[in-house]
Amino acid sequence: MEAYIKGLGIVSPQKTFDTNDFLSEVVEHNSKSLNCIEPSYKELLNPTLARRMSRIIKMSIAASTVCLRDAKIEIPDAIMTGTALGCLEDTEKFLLAIIENEEQFLTPTSFIQSTHNTVSAQIALQLKCMNYNFTYVHKGFSFESAVLDGLMTIAEGEAKNVLVGGHDEMTEKFYRVCDRIGYWKKEDDVPTMELFESKTSGSIAGEGAAFFMLSHEKTENCYAKLRGIKTIYKPESNIEIEAKISELLSSKGLTANDIDVVVYGINGDCRYDKTYNHLKDSLFKKSTSTYFKHLCGEYQTSGSFAMWMAAKMIKTQTIPSAVLIGKNKSKQIKNVLIYNTFLDTDHSVFLLSQC
Amino acid sequence: MDALIDQLKGEIIEQLNLEDLKKEDIDADAPLFGEGLGLDSIDALELIVLLEKNHGIKIANPADGKKIFQSIRSMAEFIKANKK
Repeated sequence: MEAYIKGLGIVSPQKTFDTNDFLSEVVEHNSKSLNCIEPSYKELLNPTLARRMSRIIKMSIAASTVCLRDAKIEIPDAIMTGTALGCLEDTEKFLLAIIENEEQFLTPTSFIQSTHNTVSAQIALQLKCMNYNFTYVHKGFSFESAVLDGLMTIAEGEAKNVLVGGHDEMTEKFYRVCDRIGYWKKEDDVPTMELFESKTSGSIAGEGAAFFMLSHEKTENCYAKLRGIKTIYKPESNIEIEAKISELLSSKGLTANDIDVVVYGINGDCRYDKTYNHLKDSLFKKSTSTYFKHLCGEYQTSGSFAMWMAAKMIKTQTIPSAVLIGKNKSKQIKNVLIYNTFLDTDHSVFLLSQC
Repeated sequence: MDALIDQLKGEIIEQLNLEDLKKEDIDADAPLFGEGLGLDSIDALELIVLLEKNHGIKIANPADGKKIFQSIRSMAEFIKANKK
């Protein structure tokens, strides 16, 4: 199962909306919660529909629109999205109204927009696209499941061009809830650009919406070839993780030595960085190491930011200095592997290669 | 009546997220649905809740809805006639 990445669009806490740019300017948030830098929606969204949309819906529609334009495709054969939290802001609004109004005077809009599949549905509504439409909600495997479905649909010949995306938003209330259970760092000052050096527990919160056009055919403007994906639920040891990665690589005729760059999901939480450090110092000690969560924060579908970064690295053959760990050992970027985990429970591996 | 119309305009802008509109942009006699403000069926539900929550008025007969929600003025007249 393989597919070409024909187009992409992303709204993130960085200035990533311009598809021609690749982290030429890095935004240092220096906060424990990184919020997206939103584009101007006026030319991207239908104003009648937009007035009811919450932030995550607007960000996702904008990212998917840019992705479609980048791929020069008007109507995709299928739309698959992954989200762990769905449209959280609308869910909170609706639930709060139930409490405040003692279960009376409930308005329909926030309820209608609060479901997890709202984004996929709104994209289809805007495009008038009646094709296959699916939303995956599997915590840290949400985006990965959407990608897997995209690859399988293309492999089975049921679709040629598939729009795949991942989106999750951070709200003030959800930040506070997660803070209570130790997700985020406790110290007041968190220099985000030094997240890799952090020796304390907890991470920084993030959010984002990223979309990719997966295609059966290679075109001149393709970013990269997505060659495979693997998910590992609660791995027992580093040996199991290494075995799964090697399995994926050998199925593509590759070894760890063929991987030029590894994108790690290092999030600055000393409880979970052991796997990354192990891989960096063993299996991939010859590869260039990079990371990304200091730029976008930690969230369940952050793998989509990593996939955007890997695709851009391959297409531009550059590695922005802000994402480098140590020295750049790669003369050429042919193969990039992403290793990401959410809370050491949901582990995922993506393999991308030059077209 | 003018004060009530002005109040309704504000409530509708807020409830329906008509961010780009100001009170003075809305014609009190213009149709709410189709032309005029171009509202739809979801907005109709929002307006029913608005009447009940902000003005304590329930629409007993759904068939009256078309007449009540003809314009902001017709809404104001309905409120004035039914306010306890």
